[in-house]
Amino acid sequence: MLGPACGTLTVRTGKAGAASKAGHNLRMEVTDWHATLDLGDQPTLAVSVDPHSLRVIEGTGGVMPLGDEEKDAIVKTIDDDVLKGRAIEFNSSRVDVDASGHLVNVEGELQLFDRRRPVAFALTLDDDGHVEGTAKLKHSDFGVKPFSALFGTLKVADDVEVAVDATTRSQDDG
Amino acid sequence: MVELDHSFSTGKPTDYNWEAILDLDRVIPCVEGGSVVERTSPESATAEILVKMGAMSMNFRGTVEVAERDDDAHRAVLRVKSKDLGGQGYANADVVFSVADGGGTIHTAARISGKAASMGEGIVQNVLDALITDFTQKLATI
Repeated sequence: MLGPACGTLTVRTGKAGAASKAGHNLRMEVTDWHATLDLGDQPTLAVSVDPHSLRVIEGTGGVMPLGDEEKDAIVKTIDDDVLKGRAIEFNSSRVDVDASGHLVNVEGELQLFDRRRPVAFALTLDDDGHVEGTAKLKHSDFGVKPFSALFGTLKVADDVEVAVDATTRSQDDG
Repeated sequence: MVELDHSFSTGKPTDYNWEAILDLDRVIPCVEGGSVVERTSPESATAEILVKMGAMSMNFRGTVEVAERDDDAHRAVLRVKSKDLGGQGYANADVVFSVADGGGTIHTAARISGKAASMGEGIVQNVLDALITDFTQKLATI
C-alpha cells in the first residue's frame, strides 16, 4: 500500500502563452491518495486520488512571488474550474517487473476529466521497498484545454508531470 | 507607451454607435473586469478594473472621462487614469474612438507602470491587445 503517510505524489505544471512570464511553474502535492502495488504472480497497480486534495507547495519563475493567498486561490481554481471534483483513478492493464525486480513498467488507463486514456510509465523499486517514478501527461491527450487567464495570453502548459516517491508498506502495516 | 489599433463591428447605424461609445455606463462594463463605481458627471465616471492573472489579480481604480468629442466627425477620446490599488503602479490611456455606420475603430495609447509593467513592454502589449480585442467583441453587442 502507498499513500500520503509513506510518501509523496507530486504534480508539476508549467506555463505557456505570450504572458507566460507573469505565471508560475507549480509544484503541488496530492494530500489524499492511495495506491496498491501488487507484485505477485499477476502484478497490478491501482491508484486513487481525491481531486480536492491538491495543495500548492511552490511556485517558481513568476514576476511576483507566490504567497499563501495566491496558493489558496490556485487550489480553489483547480477545484472549481479544472478538476471540478471529478474522479481520478488509474488501473493497470499490464505490469512487467524486470529480472532484477527493480524496474517495473506499467501500462493502464487513467480516468481524468471524466475521460479514460492509456498511460504508461516506469517505476523503480529498491530492496527497502522505496518506489519512485514519473508519469508524463498531456491535457490534450484528454481532450482538455489547459486553464488560461489574461484573455488566453497566460496558460498552463499542456504537459503535466506526476511523480511518486514513497516506501511501500504491506497491508498488515495499516 | 504602448499604442494599438483595433476595429469593431456592431451592424448598427452611426448615430447608435456614437451614442453607445459615449455612454460610460454601457462602455466601461464592456472591458472584462471593468465596472462603474460612480458617475461623477454625464461625461466622467469613477471606475474599477480587476485584471485576473491566474491566481493573482490587480485592481485598478480611477477615472474615465470623455476628454474630447467631435460630434460631426464622430470622434471621441476617452481618457483613463487609474492606480493599482494593491501597489504603486498606474495604468493610463487615451482611447480614441472613431465611429461610422456598422462599427468603428479604436486607437489606444497606454502608459502602464508598476507590477503590470514589470512583465515587460512586449507582454503588456500582448495582454492589452487581447483585452481590447475582447472589448471589441463585447462592443459588437452593445
